[in-house]
Amino acid sequence: MMELQLGLALCGNSAKGYNLDDFNIGSLCGNFNLNNNIMKGSSSEILDVQDENNVQVLQTLPLLVWDKDDADGHNESQRKDGDENGMVGWPPVNALRKKLCHQSRHRLYAGAMNYVTVKNGGVGGGGRGSNCYKYVKVKMEGIGIARKIDLSNFQSYGTLTDTLISMFGKSRENGDVYKLTYQDKEGDWLLAGDVPWRAFVGSVQRLKLIRDEDY
Amino acid sequence: MASASLPEQVLKHLFSFLTSDKDRNCVSLVCKLWYEVERRCRRSVFIGNCYAVTPDIMIRRFPQLTSLTLKGKPHFADFNLVPDGWGAYVDPWIAAMSQSYPFCLEEIRLKRMVVTDESLELISTSFHNFKVLILLSCEGFTTDGLAAIAANCRNLRELDLGESEVEDLSSDWLSHFPDGCTSLVSLNISCLGSEINFSDLERLITCSPNLKTLRLSQAVPLEKLPDLLCRAPQLVEFGTGAYSSEVQSDVFSNLEEAFSGCKKLEGLSGFWDVTPAYLPAVYPVCSRLTSLNLSYATIQNPDLNKLISRCHNLQRLWVLDYIEDTGLQALAASCKDLQELRVFPSDPFGPEPNVSLTEQGLVAVSDGCPKLQTVLYFCRQMTNAALVTIARNRPNMICFRLCILEPRSPDYLTLEPLDAGFGAIVEQCKELRRLSLSGLLTDRIFEYIGAHAKKLEMLSVAFVGDSDLGLHHVLSGCESLRKLEIRDCPFGDKALLANAAKLETMRSLWMSSCSVSFGACELLSQKMPRLNIEVIDENGPPDTQSESCPVEKLYIYRTVAGPRFDMPGFVRIMNQDAAH
Repeated sequence: MMELQLGLALCGNSAKGYNLDDFNIGSLCGNFNLNNNIMKGSSSEILDVQDENNVQVLQTLPLLVWDKDDADGHNESQRKDGDENGMVGWPPVNALRKKLCHQSRHRLYAGAMNYVTVKNGGVGGGGRGSNCYKYVKVKMEGIGIARKIDLSNFQSYGTLTDTLISMFGKSRENGDVYKLTYQDKEGDWLLAGDVPWRAFVGSVQRLKLIRDEDY
Repeated sequence: MASASLPEQVLKHLFSFLTSDKDRNCVSLVCKLWYEVERRCRRSVFIGNCYAVTPDIMIRRFPQLTSLTLKGKPHFADFNLVPDGWGAYVDPWIAAMSQSYPFCLEEIRLKRMVVTDESLELISTSFHNFKVLILLSCEGFTTDGLAAIAANCRNLRELDLGESEVEDLSSDWLSHFPDGCTSLVSLNISCLGSEINFSDLERLITCSPNLKTLRLSQAVPLEKLPDLLCRAPQLVEFGTGAYSSEVQSDVFSNLEEAFSGCKKLEGLSGFWDVTPAYLPAVYPVCSRLTSLNLSYATIQNPDLNKLISRCHNLQRLWVLDYIEDTGLQALAASCKDLQELRVFPSDPFGPEPNVSLTEQGLVAVSDGCPKLQTVLYFCRQMTNAALVTIARNRPNMICFRLCILEPRSPDYLTLEPLDAGFGAIVEQCKELRRLSLSGLLTDRIFEYIGAHAKKLEMLSVAFVGDSDLGLHHVLSGCESLRKLEIRDCPFGDKALLANAAKLETMRSLWMSSCSVSFGACELLSQKMPRLNIEVIDENGPPDTQSESCPVEKLYIYRTVAGPRFDMPGFVRIMNQDAAH
């Protein structure tokens, strides 16, 4: 009979990150989410681009790159069946309650007289209905052309930062290390990463990547 | 050698005073004679996991049952964590019982099971004296099945559809109830979505003089309520339908008068889609209310407060977080008999708080309500200090479920983990039977739980802990543990394998998005033949998994039935093919 000794000092978090090779990523033509019922016209291909003179310039953009390493090391689950925020079954509310929550939000957006006031987190709504989106402008230090990105496609600071870096044609291997900063609703510029992700998405107005001098 | 033993008749009479299953189980262990006498006179059986035993085993042991309660899917199925098609079919049970219990079975209570119309039809035609059908969080049937029940169960007393998913095929199933008086005492159709034929409903209510509980569906408009209530002024529990309408003074006064006529009303629920102007219509009954379920009602303060503060005798309140801290403070001041409080989130997926509900509200209620023993509380922030205060205020707490919406949230003032706070709960509340953890928690909380929570029967854990040591503390320390459900925690093989024997003393263990390897599942199944180790993985056929691969979902339960054979392709029962 097998006996297992449980040592006193166990090592810390032994959770492995998910091995994304197990999932069919294939060609990532702008389709971030590994699930299918995603925001329509998932415009992760950023088409709305402006240069410093605010002239609209249409550009062919590189395919977005999915960085396998989840930089903030959270145990993130994959999106399944369109559940809110990518976490299945969290918060633990039953199906009926979820449906009512969606209904009351829909009424809000439809502008109908609604009893419920939901603090709106910005463009397109701070919530996570199935057709919610949140576009913000992104600038990178030293690069003239700004981009726009749909934050509702992301679930963590790490993936957002890495994606943005790639988007601007930089890469970590080449020594391009950037810090992500953002402007919140009050107009202040803050370093991204201090507040929980969802609170961040609710309050961010625009993003800027600045070079990380400490590297 | 046989000493004079009591004649069977006497034993039977003695056993008839034993109502609890626990007592009856003990009695059956005394000796063979007692086992035999007891099993023949047992009338009511509760099976907490339908796969722990088979219908045949149950029928062979208990030849004459009046009542059966069966539970199917694990609790986390309520939150979409159990894929469709997993199992929990009631059909084999109904089929077997229709053969063996046609004259005795009167009551069937099911929770989280898949029920078909065929089964409902079989129930309605097989059991001659069928009285009670309770279907909580079930699915798989339609209004056609309900029509069969209505038509054929002439002695039906209770029909409760709980929060089941029913396919509405027609609105006229109610018309299948027989003409003339019915023996209905309780009718709950609040989960039904489609139109209702009102004249059928009116007729049914009029012809049910014993009706004490009536819960309507959202399809019943407010204007219909006065008429329905006047037909049933003897109601003790009432669930409204839609509670919204254009404000009209005659409708209001009719409604108020109808409520006034219900002198026995103690419980109210429903309130889908509320027009606040109609709330005062229920004021006449408030002082008598002991139970109020506003958990789907989008009422805000001050209307909400005005309503609740009139209910001085409230023992149970379910409400949305629109009540806010101020409302909870008012509750604490006016409802001194409160035993159970559930506060649900109105906007669980919103990134920012939409209401001013914090830890303060719960602290106030714990302070002001001396009988508070059951809590379910959704909020966005918590502190150790608040939890310590709650624990000190309410050592009589039996069920404490706290859900901080953002996973891994620390004490928002000190930024420390909430170990000390939850630790105080388990230390002070010595009768604690159920606990749900959330927020930032380390292995330390599990040390406290293992050391103190000796009466804990059910523990729910999500996004917490550091290592296997946490799980080990719980499995090795919690003597009364029956159900453990875990998601997204860094628990792996070591604790599970080291505490394998413990699993046979529990009803079930659920682990999803943890770090248990496939190999460990194999090992465990070899070690423990009386456990079913179910590996649930929707990402690929389980056969292609390597030993070290973490399993997506794991459901382990003790069973005398052996492995089941009704599972879908994405469920594998370990060691199923191996001969023992």
